[in-house]
Amino acid sequence: MLACILQYFYTSFLRYWLKWFLRQATGKCELQRICSGYKPGATRTSKAEYSLQSSKSKVLRNALTATRDDLPQCVGQIMQEKNIKPQKDPLFKDSLQSCLLQITGYNQLYVEVEELRKQVFSSDNPDHESKLLKLWDLLMPSVKLDSRITKQWGDIGFQGDDPKTDFRGMGLLGLINLVFFSENYTEEARQVLSHANHPKLGYSYAIVGINLTEMAYSLLKSGTLKPHFYNTVLGSPELQHFHQLYCYLAYEFDKFWLSEEPESIMLFNEYREKFHKKVQLHLEDPDVCLTLRVQN
Amino acid sequence: MDVSHVFSQGLLSILRKLKSTPDQEVRILLLGLDNGGKTTVLKQLASEDISHITPTQGFNIKSVQSQGFKLNVWDIGGQRKIRPYWRNYFENTDVLIYVIDSADRKRFEETGQELAELLDEEKLSGVPVLIFANKQDLLTAAPASEIAEGLNLHTIRDRIWQIQSCSALTGEGIQDGMNWVCKSVNSKKK
Repeated sequence: MLACILQYFYTSFLRYWLKWFLRQATGKCELQRICSGYKPGATRTSKAEYSLQSSKSKVLRNALTATRDDLPQCVGQIMQEKNIKPQKDPLFKDSLQSCLLQITGYNQLYVEVEELRKQVFSSDNPDHESKLLKLWDLLMPSVKLDSRITKQWGDIGFQGDDPKTDFRGMGLLGLINLVFFSENYTEEARQVLSHANHPKLGYSYAIVGINLTEMAYSLLKSGTLKPHFYNTVLGSPELQHFHQLYCYLAYEFDKFWLSEEPESIMLFNEYREKFHKKVQLHLEDPDVCLTLRVQN
Repeated sequence: MDVSHVFSQGLLSILRKLKSTPDQEVRILLLGLDNGGKTTVLKQLASEDISHITPTQGFNIKSVQSQGFKLNVWDIGGQRKIRPYWRNYFENTDVLIYVIDSADRKRFEETGQELAELLDEEKLSGVPVLIFANKQDLLTAAPASEIAEGLNLHTIRDRIWQIQSCSALTGEGIQDGMNWVCKSVNSKKK
């Protein structure tokens, strides 16, 4: 309760006066102090984002939703509004622009991911079908599929004899993530698959993969992934960076599952939650980088 | 005795009463083939978002309050590989809800077999069974009457049963089914 009151007092009054005081003392506005005081990464970009969000000026707030092409113009307007002279602070323009590129890029990435998620897997779409068959060939190079509808799909962890019903709420996004992992980390993906097919410690590779896509998607949607992308992608994060994050989750979840030695697959949701907490904890670290590092 | 004392006494006794009659707990088991819609039914019951559902690996459990009952609903994954684990959840089941994808005619035989095996289980003997003829929102869905006939439901004599057509996607029919569940628990426990 007291913390709440203090928080309210701080955001409504104290923060304003503190900013005014620092501005007089340093001759720099808050954005300038952020851009010059921190090196590029999550801390700097998050602070800039917060500063812009809580600004009273519409020019500053609007920059958060600008399109990529409008960003240079936005930065110019902000410098005018805040009376920042390029001669006095020559690095400011580029710093703020790269922060804004990360901030607006994150939101744009969510829009693109959501679009893929909403695309329902369709057997009538040759592109969808070829992706599915590619997944099989990448994971099982020495085994041919008997037919399109076959029990063999169970060998890579789909539920029944036609994988199309397994994509469900994750749509095409789930399939693309599975293919991306198998294509870019073929050895690792096959290794994870072999663990998943372990008679005692096994799990359904593809189903768990789709489930982990859901985890990545929710983390993205809630904004929890911001520090990761702000630290690992200097410009605007793209779809491939999201797929990379999925690869990290798929690889790390497998390691986690093996080390925990769960009694049976029926306990999946319990261990998924534990793993989720672990990932969230990592994301609280301002220096977080959730990058797949292969162990030899 | 002053007024505030009476008031606090009254309030306390109400609180005590509330505490002494906790909701009766009911254990409900949701079973059926994969892709039948069990998790969507569960999420509908709990009024949760149903747009991001993924296949169930293992099980989900949720508790929902309904008509003075605390319904503990167990949603167990339906893929063939984990059906052998279903039996681990039979004990103390009050009502079995069996979910069928009414549009997946190719698997009517398989789903009928699984249901027949469940009804033969000793630990589930006498347990009321509700069959959700799900996915009625699809044009190709078979009507509940056709499914009832195909599954020979009329030959069930050892328990009360009901078939309810529904769409877990739109929520239609779910509440009707749950009303039957609560009614059958009531008649069983009395």
